[in-house]
Amino acid sequence: MSTTTSAPPETVAAELPTEPRPRRGAGRLPYGLVVPAAALLALSLGYPLVRQVVLSFHEYGLAQQFGRPADFVGLDNYRALVTDAYLWKVLARTVVFCLVNAAATMVLGMGIALLMRLMAGPVRLLVQGGLLLAWAMPVVASLIVWQWLFDTQYGVVNWSLSRLGADYEGHSWLLEPLSFFFVATVIVVWMSVPFVAFTGYAALTQVSEDLTEAAELDGAGAWQRLRHVVLPSIRPVLLIIGLLQVIWDLRVFTQIYVLQKAGGVTRDTNLLGTYIYRLGIGGGDFGTAAAVAMFMLALTVLLTAPYVRTMLKAEES
Amino acid sequence: MIERNSRVRTLKQNLALAAAGVLALGLGLSACGDDDKADAASGDGGPEKADIRVWLNGADTPDAAREWLKTTFEKDHPGSTLTIEQQEWEGLVEKLTTSLSSDSETPDVVEVGNTQAPTFTSAGAFSDVSDELGDWGGDDLLQGFVEGAQVDGKTYAVPYYAGSKYIFYRKDLFEAAGIAVPTTMDEFVQAAIDLKAANPEPANFSGFWFPGQDWRNGVAFVWNAGGDLAVQDGDEWKGALSSPESVEGLETVQALMEQASGAAKDGNEENPQTPFCNGEVGMLSAPGWVKGLIEDPEAGCPDMVANLGVFALPGSDGEPAPVLLGGSDIAISAKSKNQDLARDVVGLMLSDDYQKLMAAAGLTPAKSSLSSELGSDEFAAATIAAASNAKLTPAAPGWAEVEGSRVLEDLFVDIATGGDVAELAAAADEKITDQLN
Repeated sequence: MSTTTSAPPETVAAELPTEPRPRRGAGRLPYGLVVPAAALLALSLGYPLVRQVVLSFHEYGLAQQFGRPADFVGLDNYRALVTDAYLWKVLARTVVFCLVNAAATMVLGMGIALLMRLMAGPVRLLVQGGLLLAWAMPVVASLIVWQWLFDTQYGVVNWSLSRLGADYEGHSWLLEPLSFFFVATVIVVWMSVPFVAFTGYAALTQVSEDLTEAAELDGAGAWQRLRHVVLPSIRPVLLIIGLLQVIWDLRVFTQIYVLQKAGGVTRDTNLLGTYIYRLGIGGGDFGTAAAVAMFMLALTVLLTAPYVRTMLKAEES
Repeated sequence: MIERNSRVRTLKQNLALAAAGVLALGLGLSACGDDDKADAASGDGGPEKADIRVWLNGADTPDAAREWLKTTFEKDHPGSTLTIEQQEWEGLVEKLTTSLSSDSETPDVVEVGNTQAPTFTSAGAFSDVSDELGDWGGDDLLQGFVEGAQVDGKTYAVPYYAGSKYIFYRKDLFEAAGIAVPTTMDEFVQAAIDLKAANPEPANFSGFWFPGQDWRNGVAFVWNAGGDLAVQDGDEWKGALSSPESVEGLETVQALMEQASGAAKDGNEENPQTPFCNGEVGMLSAPGWVKGLIEDPEAGCPDMVANLGVFALPGSDGEPAPVLLGGSDIAISAKSKNQDLARDVVGLMLSDDYQKLMAAAGLTPAKSSLSSELGSDEFAAATIAAASNAKLTPAAPGWAEVEGSRVLEDLFVDIATGGDVAELAAAADEKITDQLN
């Protein structure tokens, strides 16, 4: 930036006749203005990323964290991971968990958003208040409550089911991986539905009533109006929240981590997030953990690429 | 229409930017901390006056001791101050990993679990205190702790207090079932099974409360049978859970979990006072301070204390069984700028005056000569007996990795749910061997 402003006056004078001055200033100034923001982004986002890539090529443990030089091992960390069937199992588990959760969240959230349009004012306010509370609740606090609900010995879920006649006394909800992920899904979806519902509802209020009315007059039923009029008008918003859901559910960590402590078998319930944590912070093998994190990056790019492409296409048209 | 479209687009663009940000932030996972070389412990021992930060964990250290430490230190060092910052045991290794490696954020003196200490001593996180060892008590210090904190003949941490788990039992239930306090391992297992049989209600009653994840209690049965978690073979460490002795111990564990325990098959050992106070437990194994929780009118059930008895888990030979040696170490951060003052703090914490305050709170003092300070009641006797034969987890540098990956929790949960012990142990050995080398 300083080079732009301190350019020798002769140059300016020399160029003046051929190029009008205002244009030249306008040509460079925007770039100059972008520099601070870009530098900040590069520093805060680029540095960790570069650091992580570098880390993944080293044998980096706790001793290195305290100053011992790290050995460069090239692709060894990756080689060890790729040949380990466990990584692929965790990857597959993560993808399935992510897609199921993102889909469930979107369907439930948009369902609530559509319902909210039809609710009477006070009822809607009540629903919105409830959603807001669920959204605002600190994760760890709500996880403690969820853990109590599903507790093997004293949980109210087991108690209620037993009261209803089912044999759920002392049933462990976390012991079987499928049941573990069911509980995790309930918690994750519960936590993310409010965001989808609010954003979806906001988008729905922007759908022109003229359009839906016209469609109704043309004989379109409720489902057809939703399918062919309402949803296409809010498509861009749906794409964005879908994208965010996929990213968030791919990175899910706290819920799984806390549940693993409460019960279940860690080996059978690790997702990428907890696996990276157990390798790195838990086990002090930061190099391998960074390599797994690179897989996570690749997976995120892979999963979100279609969304991003659709968004870019919509932008162009 | 047009206006709405443009608004949607702006919103969309903003969201796209936010999404990109979230993406990059979330994936920028890297080890925190910096690369600066550990240069402390070199030459000068820091300023004469400073604000010393001491990290103590949980509520284990009694208030009287904290008060004494602060006033005594500040009296001895006019101009300096001492601040005790209480940390939580939960997540301590993670917290120490990040803060001890930072020049600016590191505390001066830290308390660390004795089984966690080797992780940091071998990484170079603590200052070498070999020269001070003599002044601080020398051979009088609990030797198991000192040895656990040594690397290549140098000592990097000193004992703070000890406290191994012992058995709490219900005297009234023992009497009702006509069971005597067991004096050997076989009697103990039988007593646990009989106790469960004598109390069919509630269905989740435990003769011996043994949640599935509790390998820290479970290892005592492996050691008692002559087995081990891992053994050193030349330069290599190998998982030893599938040795015939270990398998025998693990089978005892399975028998107890299946026939004597009503605890969750995949539960952890936190809050043992809850089932105890609920009348669901005949025996449980816990650290001495759990007595305080049972006595607590809020968290516990003071009316049960009259029926509460304790004894050290007996081994097959009638002597106390080798249980996991519990307790804490104190160490000085290698990155601390106040090496000399930090050494004075550790000296005070190991002084007889301070350690007597610890003993008064039921914690086994760091010096053998002070163990009489614990008193002479049943609880003191059990504390001393349990510690007399206690053992440490394997001294392999990579042991923390084994604990961090929860291989042992998984193994014990699988055992609790009735898996084939020999097969499970062999699979666990493979993972442990892999992680230790």
